[in-house]
Amino acid sequence: MPPRPTADVVRGTLDLLVLRTLALQPMHGWGISQRIEQVSRGLLDVNQGSLYPALQRLEQKGWIASRWQVTENNRRAKYYELTSLGRRSLGIETAEWRRYVATVELILGGAS
Amino acid sequence: MTDLLRGLLVRLRAILHPRAADQDLDDEIRFHLDQETARYLAQGLSDDEARRRAMVAFGGVQQTRETHREVRGSRLVEEVIGDARFAFRALGRSPGLASAAVVTLALGVGAITAIFSAVNAVMLRPLPFAEPERLVMLWEESAEREWVRVSASPANFLDWREQVSGLEAAAAYAEFNDRITLLDEKGPQLLSSALVTGDFFDVLGVRAQVGRGFRAEETWRRASPVVVLSDRAWRTKFGGDPGVVGRMVDLDGRRVEVIGVMAAGFAFPWEDVDAWRPFDWNVDAGNHASFRRAHWLRVIGRLAPGVTIEQAGQQLATVAGRLREQYPETNATLGAGMTPLREFLVGDTRKPLLILLGAVTLLLLISCANVGNLLLVQAGNRAREVSVRLALGAGRMRLVRQAVTESLVLSFLGGAAGLLVGALGTRLLAAMLPAGILRVSDFGMDWRVLAFVLLIVTVSGLLFGMAPALWNAGRQPAEALREGGRSGGQGQRSRRWGSALVVAEVALALLLTVGAGLLVRSFIELRRVDPGFEPDGVVTVSLVLPEARYDSAPKIHAFYDQLVERVSALPGISDAAVVRQLPLGRPSWSSGFAVAGRPVTAASQAVDVVHREISPEYFRTLRVPLLRGRQFTRADGQGSEPVVIINEALARAQFRGQDPVGQRVSYDREPDSTSNWYTIVGVVGSEHQQSPAQAPLMEIFSPLHQESMRGMVLVARTTGDPATAAPAIHRIVADLDPTLAIRSTQTLNEVAARSVALQRFLMTLLVAFAAVGATLAVVGVYGVLAQVVRQRTREMGIRIALGAGTGDVQWLVVRHGLVLAAVGLAIGAAVALVATRAVRGILYGVPAADPITFAVAASLLGLTVLAASWLPARRASRADPAVALRSE
Repeated sequence: MPPRPTADVVRGTLDLLVLRTLALQPMHGWGISQRIEQVSRGLLDVNQGSLYPALQRLEQKGWIASRWQVTENNRRAKYYELTSLGRRSLGIETAEWRRYVATVELILGGAS
Repeated sequence: MTDLLRGLLVRLRAILHPRAADQDLDDEIRFHLDQETARYLAQGLSDDEARRRAMVAFGGVQQTRETHREVRGSRLVEEVIGDARFAFRALGRSPGLASAAVVTLALGVGAITAIFSAVNAVMLRPLPFAEPERLVMLWEESAEREWVRVSASPANFLDWREQVSGLEAAAAYAEFNDRITLLDEKGPQLLSSALVTGDFFDVLGVRAQVGRGFRAEETWRRASPVVVLSDRAWRTKFGGDPGVVGRMVDLDGRRVEVIGVMAAGFAFPWEDVDAWRPFDWNVDAGNHASFRRAHWLRVIGRLAPGVTIEQAGQQLATVAGRLREQYPETNATLGAGMTPLREFLVGDTRKPLLILLGAVTLLLLISCANVGNLLLVQAGNRAREVSVRLALGAGRMRLVRQAVTESLVLSFLGGAAGLLVGALGTRLLAAMLPAGILRVSDFGMDWRVLAFVLLIVTVSGLLFGMAPALWNAGRQPAEALREGGRSGGQGQRSRRWGSALVVAEVALALLLTVGAGLLVRSFIELRRVDPGFEPDGVVTVSLVLPEARYDSAPKIHAFYDQLVERVSALPGISDAAVVRQLPLGRPSWSSGFAVAGRPVTAASQAVDVVHREISPEYFRTLRVPLLRGRQFTRADGQGSEPVVIINEALARAQFRGQDPVGQRVSYDREPDSTSNWYTIVGVVGSEHQQSPAQAPLMEIFSPLHQESMRGMVLVARTTGDPATAAPAIHRIVADLDPTLAIRSTQTLNEVAARSVALQRFLMTLLVAFAAVGATLAVVGVYGVLAQVVRQRTREMGIRIALGAGTGDVQWLVVRHGLVLAAVGLAIGAAVALVATRAVRGILYGVPAADPITFAVAASLLGLTVLAASWLPARRASRADPAVALRSE
């Protein structure tokens, strides 16, 4: 069984993954979930449903924007895209995350 | 930035349209599940299996919805709305209680709204000038002469303006209202005019709406006189005609050009100002000694940018020190100081306003306690509902929030009603307020008042909501159910809360009653003071003779001689006289004083006397007793020996053990070779010149016929109703000079009443507040006792069944009330001993800790509580044992 990260880490990681995914192209919720699943290779044991509150949170922060659009299969879906504020934040968050990981790594490395 | 804004909009839309947001989410979820199902179908799974897998991968749909809502913030909103709806329903179920609470709150909130409106208008609203925070008031002071914040002499003002570099500019106005007569086709009308320097408007930063204000150089005498009108005078006297600018009008018999009209709302230095005129000083006036000696200017300075009032004040002190050495004859004891203009204008009104604000705060607290009590009773009645909810697992916080929401709904209803009461109260206050006591007459509500009311309504809602909320929250479900099981049961804890509230109410009410009582006692003492004359039956008519037509002493004397003579001859008039200023009015002019043959010392230089000019009949008309010597006669005129009469206060202070009659004195200027010396011919009793509360000042009277004053007041003693004598006097004035405007007509009793108008006003308001407060407190006591009786009906029934007498049972209830009252009164008295120090400054002849007032107030409240206990006690004693026992 894969390790179960704590909820806070999941939330921070989820936001980061969503932003990273949307940095490539605008996408609907399901698409994002597929993409994250591929990328994280199932490491993150997250319900697909928890994606939607995260999207709402990011939209309220002004980091992503949404609009209803028609898919190739002629179905209505809500597409999300990164705003310029979101793009900047992604940069900052990524750097923060790396620093965090490096710090943790340092501590753990020192311990072993 | 726009991204942030968009995010905010998303948030707002989600809250405002929660249903649309839900719909959106559902659509999204359906799409998601369809896609996921399609993916599994493509992997060859059956329909049902594909859908099941999709659902599993998604997790709980309902949970996603809930979390989504939480993120959107709509759950909180929904709950609050739900609480409010529930609160309205709950209040609707007990309309009697709800309306009692709303009325109680409306009284408390209304009173504080009205008083706060006045406080706001006087103390908080910015002065209607440009950058008012840079404006300061400058004054002279003298420790030796006990001068505090006195007006400046023109020469000193000009020196300050030159030499204090921290002042960008400084203007001055005469502290007296210069009444001038406007003569046009409508006849003579009296205008209230202010004498000002040419830069007066510029320093204040106000502009004319038509024409222009004065120019700086117009301070000095010029060939053609000019005048600026106030908006009020322009509308009422000139019909708001813009063409009035440039027109010549007849003011005091001179042709004066109207050069401008100031903007509406600008009424300074006093509310009823009609016109401003430049001082019209002679350029060589500076050579006159009186230019530095007479103090009659109020000086307004504008601080230079970046200069603090402390810095400018130090510069001013330095300049004043220099002037002291430069002009020892006039400035030997003089210093100077400054204060923010607003502070100066608020001045004496601060204390009364704050006392009133304190009183209405107490009143509001009493209403809050009362409503808290009502809610507690209601909470008791709903104990069963609460205990069921608790037992079913309702969150404690949820219950507290529910209770607080209910009290907030109640307090906002009460606040809305209170705002109405307050609007009415503000009008009432404006109508009751004696003229000229507050600087502003318009204290309507503005955003500050509304914000204040919102704040106090919220705070009081939380305040009185807390008691029942905590009581509910602290209960154990088991205890609650046990209690709830009994009919109308209410726990010990609730009763303790209720008792505490009632005790607080009684204490607060005593505080109010003691305060009101002190003011009543003080007012009675004030009215008991002998003013030194007999005001009953005296009518007074103020006149000003225009300078242009009364430019010599003989003309002035001739007019007033005829006036006194003809008025005395009227039927129903026993005596008549003229005097420059009425007693119990504003303080008269004052000056230094010296006795011939005595050495001039620092102490003698510090003596200040006030002086008035009178016609010989004055003392007889007002019944001021002559103690020594003689009255003035017609023979005391120009060319005869200069004579004066002094009052007893002066005789006692300056001629102890000597006979003042026959001594020679000098006043109105420092004694030197050129001094005028006056022989004292008589001593009269002292009149209170300012108010009954202020001891008589040392005073000198001189005969009108040895001076020449154009503005005088006719006093006439009538044998009948003084008001009916006025028309006949007016006819005589019009007959003597049809172009004369009469300044004012009032009885001397009205003048006397005005001197204590502020005290009367404060007393009336405080008595009203105390009455309302005491009533609320007594209602509170009644409520608690009634509740107690209801709860203990069974106990009473058993007692009666066991043979207790009616008296015993009644005593049980009355004792309960008395204990509550006694504790409340004791606490209230202890607090009042400290709190009444706040009113000490405005009391006359009564100590702040007056034992009589305390005793009377406490027994009055105690007796009313006793009366309030009587009704529930009687009901208790009527408890039918059978009914009481069966009811369980």
